This record gives sequence, structure tokens and C-alpha cells, in this order.
Amino acid sequence: MALPNQQTVDYPSFKLVIVGDGGTGKTTFVKRHLTGEFEKKYEPTIGVEVHPLDFFTNCGKIRFYCWDTAGQEKFGGLRDGYYIHGQCAIIMFDVTARLTYKNVPTWHRDLCRVCENIPIVLCGNKVDVKNRQVKAKQVTFHRKKNLQYYEISAKSNYNFEKPFLYLARKLAGDANLHFVESPALAPPEVQIDLAAQQLHEQELLQAAAQPLPDDDDEAFE
Amino acid sequence: MATTEPKLENREEEEEAAGADDEDTGAQVAPIVKLEEVTVSTGEENEDPIIDLKAKLYRFDKDGNQWKERGAGTVKLLKHKETGKVRLVMRQSKTLKICANHLVLPTMTLQEHAGNEKSCLWHAPDFADGELKDELFCLRFASIENCKSFMEMFQEVAESQKKEENEDGSTAAGLLEKLSVEDKKSEDKSEDKAEDKTKEGDGKDENPSKDTEKKDESASD
Repeated sequence: MALPNQQTVDYPSFKLVIVGDGGTGKTTFVKRHLTGEFEKKYEPTIGVEVHPLDFFTNCGKIRFYCWDTAGQEKFGGLRDGYYIHGQCAIIMFDVTARLTYKNVPTWHRDLCRVCENIPIVLCGNKVDVKNRQVKAKQVTFHRKKNLQYYEISAKSNYNFEKPFLYLARKLAGDANLHFVESPALAPPEVQIDLAAQQLHEQELLQAAAQPLPDDDDEAFE
Repeated sequence: MATTEPKLENREEEEEAAGADDEDTGAQVAPIVKLEEVTVSTGEENEDPIIDLKAKLYRFDKDGNQWKERGAGTVKLLKHKETGKVRLVMRQSKTLKICANHLVLPTMTLQEHAGNEKSCLWHAPDFADGELKDELFCLRFASIENCKSFMEMFQEVAESQKKEENEDGSTAAGLLEKLSVEDKKSEDKSEDKAEDKTKEGDGKDENPSKDTEKKDESASD
């Protein structure tokens, strides 16, 4: 479900509502998928931000319009209005903050009041952090409510594709749906003139001196 | 090597925990779309990989004077089977989306990162999003050796493109002529087809063989 000012596409698209307490990593998770970056700074989302996110599957391209909502009460805004016509949802909590898990039932209730019987994924984020407050075994809410549960880390990308894969499978009723390599189009020929080349070399020197953001992290997916 | 081991173990534990979570909790939701399996193309069918390594990609944010993560996955240099042109294609692991896609040009130079000897950077007109964008990229590899072999291969390719360009220079005009002739031919073909269709349905079967004949002619020119 696109916003009025957003372009519609000629392939299947779904409205995905993302809820959960403030600071659990909803925006960081969406951004990670959009641009690849991992934003450490916390800037609370005001109201809602809608981002189109495309995936390539063996059944063609699909799009999720991710309604990334404010977790903080004071920035909440319309709330119910954001949920209307939601076709699938992610409820996020932070495994390093117990209260965010305790609030999951409230988010679930509010969501289900507006969106009946849609596929929902519960995500325990930040599992890369050493001192967890909510252990995997303590997470039981999803069993009562028939939600899917994934432990994820927006920082390490651990399981980061699973929530979308699960939702796509449920929405299409196809348990074998999977992601495929998106077509790598032939890049057009470009000429780089000498002036641009010199500028590039200067920029390279400058950039080479700037540290990489996660230099300490040795893990590779 | 020893320092990375504990992390790997953690990873396996995470994997196990998730393995159990992967079980569908049996949410019964009606699918809302019916998707048919489609033929998928990687866009790489006419190319051979000459290097294929795991790496993490960063792009330089000039405004913020900082590196930002772009993706983690597999970087390849792909050589076209016919034209001999080489491009760099990198895909995000798990989602298999493209995070970099550009030709390796003779004007390109790689530079080591000053603070990280597993990393190198360069400037490129990137086509990952289907439009050309000037980007400053940095790749971080799992080992110094991998970084070295990537850098050597990249430089070698850039050098070889330089030579080819010089050789091609003299015949470029000839090539252009050829192209315009071929364009004409294909125009003729479509006209032929239209005529054939109006005359009789059988004409269709003839056309494919005609096409190949014409291609053979132009190839032997």
C-alpha cells in the first residue's frame, strides 16, 4: 500500500507495519536493508516513515512498504492510522532491555485491533550484545499467539533477511519461495576525463585516512 | 586466526538457537497473492568470474567525511565472454541484492587504506541502483592475502583494458560503421516479420534461421 505521493509499481507490493518500543532498532533495521549502513546514533522516529524495500524472489520482484513507526509514546502520533490496511507486521524488542519484551503484548494487541489475522514476526534484536537480559528460552509470547520468532542483529546482519522471507512466504502461501540473485544490468560505458581523475585521486588520499566504522569486527557472513 | 575462533563458536550457537526458531509456529493466515515461479536471470550469464571473494563494502560519505557500510557479501570481477570487458559486481549475502556494479576502466587506480591493510579503495561510476552515481568505495577483506590478490587482479585488468583501448582506437571508426549497418539490418528484419505475419503464419518459423544467418555474416566480416 503506497502513500499517495509514492510511486506505485507493477509488481506485488505489501504494507508492512513495524512496531515496538523506542530504541529497539526498528529504523536501524530498515536502514540496514535500504542502504547497507548501520547507524549507531539514536534519533527517535517522529510519527512514521515509509520506505519502499524491494526483494527478488524465484517468483519475481516484490516490494514491502515499510511503515517504520515511532516507538516512543510522545512521538507516536496517529498510531491506529498507521496500522490501517497493514498486510503484515514486525514487532521488535531489544534482548538487552527486558522492558521492551514486556511491552510486546501491548504492541501486539494494538496492532491486532486494527489488522486482523495478518502474518506477524516477532524480532528480538541486538543478539550480538554480550549481556543479554532476555534469553532465547525466556521468549515465549510468540507461541501463545502463533507469531514467528527470530533472533536478529541489525549490527552483524545475523538473520536479518529472515523476517522478510517469512512474511513473503506467508503472503504468497508458498513455503518454497526464496531470494534469488537480482539481475546485474550491464553498466553503461563512461569516460573519465583527466580533471575528474585528478580530483578523484585527491579524494582517495583524504578518504584513505578516515577509519572504517567497524574495523574491530572480524566476522564475515 | 586464533582470535577469530571464539567468535565463530558464538556464531554457531546463535545458529543452533535460530535453527529451532526457524520452525514455523503454525500461524494460519490466508495468502493474499498468488505468485508464479518465473525464470530468473543473474545478468551474469555471459561472463566468467576471474576472482570471487568474501568482503565488506563501504562507501565514502563526502558530506560527513566518513565511511559508511554498503553491504557484506561476495565481490566478483566478471569478464565478458565476447567483449573481454571486465566489471566488478558485489552482492549482499542472503538477500543477494547488488551493492556495487561498475566497469573496470583503464583510468582506475586502487589505493590501500592507510589504517587497515586488509582494505583498499577506489573511485567508480556505480550502476548498482540502475543509474550512474559517482562513488568512492572501500572493500575490507577477511585477510591481507585476499586484499592483495584482489588489488593485483584489479590493477592487472585496468592495465589490460588500457592496451585493448589503444588497439581498438584505430578500428573504432570501423566498428561504429558496423554497428549502424547492423542496426539497419535489424530494422529490416522487423519489417520482414511484420510482412510475413500478414501473409501467413508459417513465416515465423523461417525467421529464427534467417536471424542466425545474418549474425554469422556479420561475425565473419
